[in-house]
Order: sequence, then C-alpha cells, then structure tokens
Amino acid sequence: MKKIFLTSLLSILFISISYAQDAAEADRLVGVWEPSHGKAKVKIDKIGEKYYGKIVWLKIPVDPETGEAKVDKNNPDEKLRSTPLRGYRILKDFVYTGKNEWTEGTIYDPENGNTYSCTIKMTDENTLDIRGYIGVSALGRTDVWKRLKMPPKKK
Amino acid sequence: MNNSKSILLLIVSFLLSSAALFAQTDTTQTQEEEDYSIYDDLEFVDESAKRFASVKVSGKSPDKLISVGYDFQGSYDMDADAFGAFEESTQKINSTHGFRFGANIPVISKNNIIIQAGLIYWNYQYEFDQPNTISHPLHQTLNDNGLNTIDAAVTIYKPYNETSFFLARIAAGTSGDYAFGDFQPMKYNRYSVALLWGKKPNDYTQWAVGISRTYRAGELNYLPVIMYNWTSTNRKWGVETLFPARGDVRYNFSPRSMLFAGFDLEGTSFRIGNDNELEQPYNDLEIRRSELRFRLKYERQLIGFIWISAKVGYRYDYSFNVDRVKNGEDFFRGFFGDQEYVMENSLTNPLFFNFSINLVSP
Repeated sequence: MKKIFLTSLLSILFISISYAQDAAEADRLVGVWEPSHGKAKVKIDKIGEKYYGKIVWLKIPVDPETGEAKVDKNNPDEKLRSTPLRGYRILKDFVYTGKNEWTEGTIYDPENGNTYSCTIKMTDENTLDIRGYIGVSALGRTDVWKRLKMPPKKK
Repeated sequence: MNNSKSILLLIVSFLLSSAALFAQTDTTQTQEEEDYSIYDDLEFVDESAKRFASVKVSGKSPDKLISVGYDFQGSYDMDADAFGAFEESTQKINSTHGFRFGANIPVISKNNIIIQAGLIYWNYQYEFDQPNTISHPLHQTLNDNGLNTIDAAVTIYKPYNETSFFLARIAAGTSGDYAFGDFQPMKYNRYSVALLWGKKPNDYTQWAVGISRTYRAGELNYLPVIMYNWTSTNRKWGVETLFPARGDVRYNFSPRSMLFAGFDLEGTSFRIGNDNELEQPYNDLEIRRSELRFRLKYERQLIGFIWISAKVGYRYDYSFNVDRVKNGEDFFRGFFGDQEYVMENSLTNPLFFNFSINLVSP
C-alpha cells in the first residue's frame, strides 16, 4: 500500500511539475505588445487555459469624424458597432501547442471588420510573428509584434 | 484504507484545481474597469527594435491574392496597314474577349520586408464579323490564334524606418499568338522593372516616385512612376494611383463596398508566330498593343474574403502597330525615336466590361 501511495504521489508531483513548466513556457505570451503599424498596443492575458489579447492603447483614440472615442464601427454585426475599441478583444482562443507556437485562435481587424484564423509564433522572447490567414496558412500575412515593457504596478 | 483515502483526496483536489484553471470566460469587450493611461508611454523591451512604415493605407481597397475574371470588348473596326504584297484592309470585329487569371501571394511578410510572387494569364479571342473575307495576315492570325500573355513578377516592399520605404517590381512576360503546349522561345520574353522610393507620413497617405522599364505603352519605354494613395479622415473618399498604369478616385460606401472612377493603361508587345495558313515571310513581328481604359469600377465583399469586381467603360486604342524585332532583340524607340513601324494599324474604340471574383488579402 505504501508503495502505491509513493508511486501515486511521485506521479502527481511529476505531472504537476511538467504542467507548471508547460504553463510557464506558454505564459511567456502574456504581456503588452505593439503591432507593426504602431497604431495600437495589445495586452495579452491568460483566461483559463487560453490566451486573449485586447487593445489597451490607440495612437489616435478619438474618431476624427465624431469627436468621440473610437468604436468598432466597421464590425459586420451592427449590434457591436458602438463597442469601444479600447478594451476590445482582438485576439481570441489561443492555445499553446509547444515549440513556441500558439494556435487555434483568431485575430480581428477593426480596420475592415474581418476576423481571420491566426497562429502566433514567438521568434524570440520579445518578438511575435502573428500570421492571419484565410483557410490555409499560405494565404495570409505575417505581422511582427514587439514586446513592450510592462507598466508599473499600481501601489 | 487511510492511505487510499489520502490518495483519493489528493487526486480529487488536484483535479479540482486543474478544473478551476481550465474554466474560462470570453466576451469581445472586456468587462473590468482599467486605467488605460498606464499604457501611454511604454518602451520596447528590446531597445534595438525599430518601427517600420506599414504597407497598408487606411480605407484602401484590399489587395487581391487570387483573381479569376472575364474581359469583354464590344464591336469595333480594325484597320490593318499595307504589308508586303498585302493591301490595307479593314475588318469588323464583333468582340474581343477572354479569361483572366491573376495571383499575388506573399512569400515573405515581415515588418521590415514584404516579398510577393505574382502570376497573371490573360487571353484575347478575336471574333471577326466575316472571317471568310479575311485577306490580311494580321487579321488572319488574330482570328486563328488570338493572343495570350503570361507574366511572372516579384514585388519587394522594403521600409527602412517609420515613414520611408523602397518598392521594386521585376517581371518577365511571354506574350504572343502562341498556344499552350507550344510556347515561344525564351528569347521573346519581355522584362519590366519599376523602382520607387516613397514616404508614408500617416495612416491615410502614401506616396512614392520612381522610374520604370515598361511595355505598358506597347513597346519598350522608360517612364516615370508616381504612386499616390490617400484616404480622407472620414474614410469616405480616396485616391489610388500608380501612374501610368492606373489611377482612381475612390468612394467608400463602407469598408466592404467601394466605387472607383479612373483608368487603366494595359499593354505589352505580342510576338506573331509563323503558324498561320498564309505562310508569308513575316518572321519576328511584334504587335505593340496598348490601350487606355476609362472606366467605373465597383468592388464589394461577396462573402468572407471573397470579393467581386465589376468594371465598365470605354477602351481607347493607344497602339496596335507592328514592329520587326529581329531574333527577339528588342530596341528602344521611346516617344521621339524615328524607327518606322512595319504596320501602322488603327482601331476604333468600343465599350468594354470586366468581371472578376477575387480572394482578398488579410
């Protein structure tokens, strides 16, 4: 009985350590990133086991046409067109699949209201290749995002 | 027994904690109140990281990855010049039409460089009103074979800071009255190059100037190139110009529906082979074909990433003259050269339409 207990405990410990290592590797995606166009900053967080990215900063936060804060006016869904762009989740449902890749997610482009399939590859600790594509990866475009220093924590 | 209970408790607590980790919520708009001002002045972690001018201009029509279309010109007259023993002859052509395919696929797409590989195939079929009365070899070959053009190109966009960039396009094309499976020799390929330097001062404006070696005017020429893309701040109006190839004023009904008014300059040099019935000694002839198309164009999203494009307008014949290009070794006449054409032909000008289905780029 003692033997079974020890074996089970070691297995659980081993699984827990592996899980923690995987989680730590996957969590490198968490942070604030700047897309190549420099018009926005996107904060990626982990929610449950998946990763999501929301717009936290806009170079031009006010719509010059309305004088109001920018909203998602190009969304094909009319009900969402009044949603503020700041705080908008444009990256959704990414899962870490190993080898510095997060897949199974989507990216939304507020410029045209389109949602694309997307994969994220971390080419180094501070650089992401974000590839939005249509159907197959070959029909897509890669944008390189750079990591920004995290803002200071509130006291 | 106690040990078994402990193991069970341990496993249950591990599974419960895992389940809590796996639990998730998702809404498009985040719910929490956040002080976004903390993100105002963030620096790159990697201090050597640079920002580069993006190729995209807000409000501009989407780039086409793959395009499949059909082009149709209505009725017009073609006057073929006297040539050797053949007298000048005019024939009515009921229509010129053909299939058009284009692909432009990003091979490398990074912040600091974009390389795209392109391929087009255009076909022209000439429907003569009275083919039995054809007496001129130019009419004969157009009636028998039509014309084909295949063009392979590489486009390189190279930004070198936040506002400045280089743009280069290198293309090789084979155009003539050849048939598939019986292509003309490589020595008849024609090469085009365009080199531009430009600025993108903001998200709504992009311009570039440069020089091109081009066959747009039908024959080899060296022309300045001006690129200008602009969108109004309300994103309703815009300009999309790559002079002399095309120029447009654009009205955006929405990001998924656009109307254009402008022109296209289409042209290249088409080699005439010897495979027609008349078997006359007219080796090494090339039609310097170029036409200006003044047109309205409407583009809209059909579904997802599939867009349709419809053009209607007036086709103006700029050149349909014929040169002798010995052994495929082309020469430069430009606007001021005095080399004589073998045939100076003229075409009247019909209306045309063009329709295509396109897969557009993210």
